[in-house]
Amino acid sequence: MKTISTALLRRLPILVLILFSGTILLAQQKYTISGYIKDGSNGETLIGASVYISALNQGTTSNVYGFYSLSIPEGTYEVQFSYLGFENEVRQIELNGNLDLDVELFEAAAELEEVIVTSEARDQNVTDLEMSVNKLDMSTIEKMPTLLGEVEILRSIQLLPGVTSVGEGASGFNVRGGSIDQNLIILDEAPVYNASHLFGFYSVFNPDAVKDVKLYKGGIPARYGGRLSSILDVRMKEGNSKQFNLNGGVGFIFSRLAVEAPIVKDKASFILAGRRSYIDVLSQPFLNDDFSGAVLNFYDLTFKTNYNINKKNRIFLSGYLGRDNFGFGDAAGFNWGNATGSFRWNHLFSERLFSNITLYYSNYDYEIQFGDDSVNKFDWTARIINYSFKPELSFYLNPDNLIRFGGQAIIYEFEPGRAMGISEGEVTDFSLDKKYAIEGSLFLENEQSIGDKLEINYGLRLSYFNYTGEGTAYEFGVAPPGERRPVIGAQEYDQWESIENYAKLEPRLAIKYQLNDQSSIKTSYMRTAQYIHLLSNTTASTPVDVWTPSTNNIEPQTAEQVALGYFRNFKENRYEFSAEVYYKRMKHLIDYIDGADLILNELLEGDVLEGKGRAYGLELLLKKEEGRFSGWQSYTLARTERQVEGVNQGKWYPSRFDQTHNLSLTTFYSLTDRWSLSANFVLNSGTPTTFPNSRFEQQGYVIPHNTSDTRNNVRIPVYHRLDLSATLDGKRKDRRWQGQWVFSIYNVYNRRNPFSIYFQQQDGRIMEGMSTNTEAVKLSVIGNFIPSISYNFKFK
Amino acid sequence: MQTRYIIPVLFFFAGLFFTSCEDVIDINTDPAPQLLVVDAWINNLDQPQIINLSLSQPYFDSANPAGVTGASVIVENSSGKTLVFEEENNGNYVWTPGNGETIGEVGDGFTLSIEWNDVIYEASSQMNRVPEIDSLVQEYREPELGNPEGIFATFYARDFPGQGDAYWIKTYKNGQFLNKPIEMNLAYDAGFDSGSSIDGVVFIVPIRELINRFPDEEGEDDFEVPPYMPGDSIRVEIHSITEAAFNFLSIAKEQMTNGDNTIFALPLANTKSNVRNVATGERALGFFNVAKVSSAGKIIE
Repeated sequence: MKTISTALLRRLPILVLILFSGTILLAQQKYTISGYIKDGSNGETLIGASVYISALNQGTTSNVYGFYSLSIPEGTYEVQFSYLGFENEVRQIELNGNLDLDVELFEAAAELEEVIVTSEARDQNVTDLEMSVNKLDMSTIEKMPTLLGEVEILRSIQLLPGVTSVGEGASGFNVRGGSIDQNLIILDEAPVYNASHLFGFYSVFNPDAVKDVKLYKGGIPARYGGRLSSILDVRMKEGNSKQFNLNGGVGFIFSRLAVEAPIVKDKASFILAGRRSYIDVLSQPFLNDDFSGAVLNFYDLTFKTNYNINKKNRIFLSGYLGRDNFGFGDAAGFNWGNATGSFRWNHLFSERLFSNITLYYSNYDYEIQFGDDSVNKFDWTARIINYSFKPELSFYLNPDNLIRFGGQAIIYEFEPGRAMGISEGEVTDFSLDKKYAIEGSLFLENEQSIGDKLEINYGLRLSYFNYTGEGTAYEFGVAPPGERRPVIGAQEYDQWESIENYAKLEPRLAIKYQLNDQSSIKTSYMRTAQYIHLLSNTTASTPVDVWTPSTNNIEPQTAEQVALGYFRNFKENRYEFSAEVYYKRMKHLIDYIDGADLILNELLEGDVLEGKGRAYGLELLLKKEEGRFSGWQSYTLARTERQVEGVNQGKWYPSRFDQTHNLSLTTFYSLTDRWSLSANFVLNSGTPTTFPNSRFEQQGYVIPHNTSDTRNNVRIPVYHRLDLSATLDGKRKDRRWQGQWVFSIYNVYNRRNPFSIYFQQQDGRIMEGMSTNTEAVKLSVIGNFIPSISYNFKFK
Repeated sequence: MQTRYIIPVLFFFAGLFFTSCEDVIDINTDPAPQLLVVDAWINNLDQPQIINLSLSQPYFDSANPAGVTGASVIVENSSGKTLVFEEENNGNYVWTPGNGETIGEVGDGFTLSIEWNDVIYEASSQMNRVPEIDSLVQEYREPELGNPEGIFATFYARDFPGQGDAYWIKTYKNGQFLNKPIEMNLAYDAGFDSGSSIDGVVFIVPIRELINRFPDEEGEDDFEVPPYMPGDSIRVEIHSITEAAFNFLSIAKEQMTNGDNTIFALPLANTKSNVRNVATGERALGFFNVAKVSSAGKIIE
């Protein structure tokens, strides 16, 4: 493996030279215009704003830090800057030297919905190289109907094609047949290991602090890696650099408050946003004495600050801290949460070479404790910590080539369980050894236009993983498929001593061919590798599931995906349509033996099975972003399957989150100046589950049995739901205090949607000799309609 | 430790926020072949030892299973003793120890042989050690953790040093076996399972206290553990079981109580029998285990 990497590294410069030599030789006297594009009202940089020079028919878009760079021949030009929902800005420039041009755009006046934004900004669906990517605007997410009035990023993305979930309240989401740990969720570059509050009902992202959300389901560029199925890139606001701004809201679940202000106007600003649930405060009077002292709350704090040192340097510091707390006084407690911090430094080596260096820290941990006396007690904590260094450079070679390269190093520390039990004063420490690993990667990609019609992004990612000491590596013997493997050897390793290492080459390719102004065809291929895994064998993942590195017994998961899409806009880009098909195959997926023991088990690798997966489908999306009536419809026809030796007799079976049909409609309608309405409708095929077909008795117990030993052999009933909401904005938009009422009804027609079906013997005690009834029970997580009111405000 | 020990606690909290609901529904399941079921949990007590043979039935068939008749059932002890189980009614095959006779000693191996319809099934087991119950006590408690005030029972016993002991703790209230699936009390050493080596100490609290019954009477709150009343009799037995028996019962309990796991349910899994068709190697259903039993009793005051 070492030889592959060094050989490749040695050849990289040559490779780069060959690729670009042609273009370099052809270059004539050119100058660069570059700068940042910002929202003029608050100084926030705009991601993906477009810069276009019609005389040359050339343009570019701003990157995630709002930076753009365009090298063109000297001359006089009209440059147009545009961004969806903002007024265009046109600048005349005389280019006879490099030009530094920062531009501020302003939100389109009054009725956003009525404004026709010019086509240059609106045809990105067709002209962008990216496919299998969904972007959701915070302003769109904010208008959607909610569960108990809380604006929810993770729930919103489940309305996009290709994204499913095992059901209501389950944490995480599944992208194109991938399990939930195959999504890399990053908040300002730092990964978030459990993105849920209250199991899966709410996500940890405070909408007040989020600027941009982008989901990559396929065709993931080489600069991203580490997970098989998707990247959810969440970018936080920088904080208003123009003026003080207060945002907040009061809902049924949370109240929120966010403060943004300049520290030095146009140079430094910050945002501090917090939320806390207060259901415990509200419910206290209703709890009877038995439950007094119950604690149940969750909160999060999000902070970010940035400083523009000078034209060439800008730094950012972001942090997140969240926690869920459940407990009964001192008798029992359970809490979990994430903490992340990232420091970033944007540096311009030149007008054409942009760099960002990220240093981040991320931690997820939980604690469970029972008993408060020193005689009998149980206390258990587990965590995953990682530190990373991640430099990334973008070289704007010319308008036709944007080269990105960089790397990343991550140090992982896994603490699968530090546990202590005290039984009648005797202490048992059954903590597991910590595990350590190092992950490294290098990437190089080029976004290249060839002629007017063809655009390609090709790249290569080399990733490397080293599972290291100190620790004990176990060797397992063989067992019949699906049964626990016995330990046959153990070896101790010193600190940083390599136990096992893996290296993977991950080629990535995306191609767009422009058919005409309204339509294009795109295709992509990607290979991805994943070195850390979430061990979870329950339907919905629990907060106590632990992450494990790839080890000498657990291989890295790998996947390959191809996708092909047709993109078309209608009626002057007012309607966007896309159709994509994809096929994905996955290797070394993780499954578990029956009765697997996944937590606080030193030998859990013996309970882990390895399998293959495949997923394929068709995704349709029709979107209308303008006018009084807007929204989207998405439909997915898909299949996702697994094959694991020892499960389902070794035959292919549908995974627990397989949904054949998945339809969602999201619509917005602005009724008057102040009233707007929105609705969601979702209709999904039932997910598969396993039914027993027979039962037998043993010592008076009735035990279910599936004689064919199949997995996921039946489907639970169809899921459908309608949600409505109405938003009432304040009378005048120019006031310093702006209030907004949001009225929502979740599950309007009161359907008891099934989450699962389980089997049990009848309630009550079975007396000897009596026969025992067995029954099937449908579990609905939300059993009624849920109305809510929330109030949001802005003060500036 | 298995996630299932934590899950009910988890979802209890979530339930405070949302009105989840459960409806009994009618569904059809695939037709299933009828398989031989061997219910052979025998022990060293001086009482008739029963091995029951029956056939599995469709999941929603609630009739008492029909007993298998005409089989020959023999248990051989590794010390050379052969016990013939005589057929009685309803598929019960019984061996009654004579005066001063026991089935065997700790460390003995046992082989069960069944011949039925010209097919021979076999299973083996071993009698493992079992700790004495040091005490069985009652305690009056204030309301706590959602449970009412009242008298609750606890037993104390110490697991042997050395990993790999497995036990099934059975509780009888007024002679009635506490047989709700959720009351099934299994221990691996002094803790829940083999992964979390809690060894050689007094059984941990949740095991010591799972001798209190779960609600089973009309009008009782499902979330409460009802207290014992003065005059109630309690009898606690610890049965030593083999590791394979522990795995069998763990999966059985997991499956029978999977509904309590709500959204964190586990996939349906089949128990793994140790009874096999000798000719084909196929598993029958059920299990054969030979236990040594220790016990203690008490009348609540």
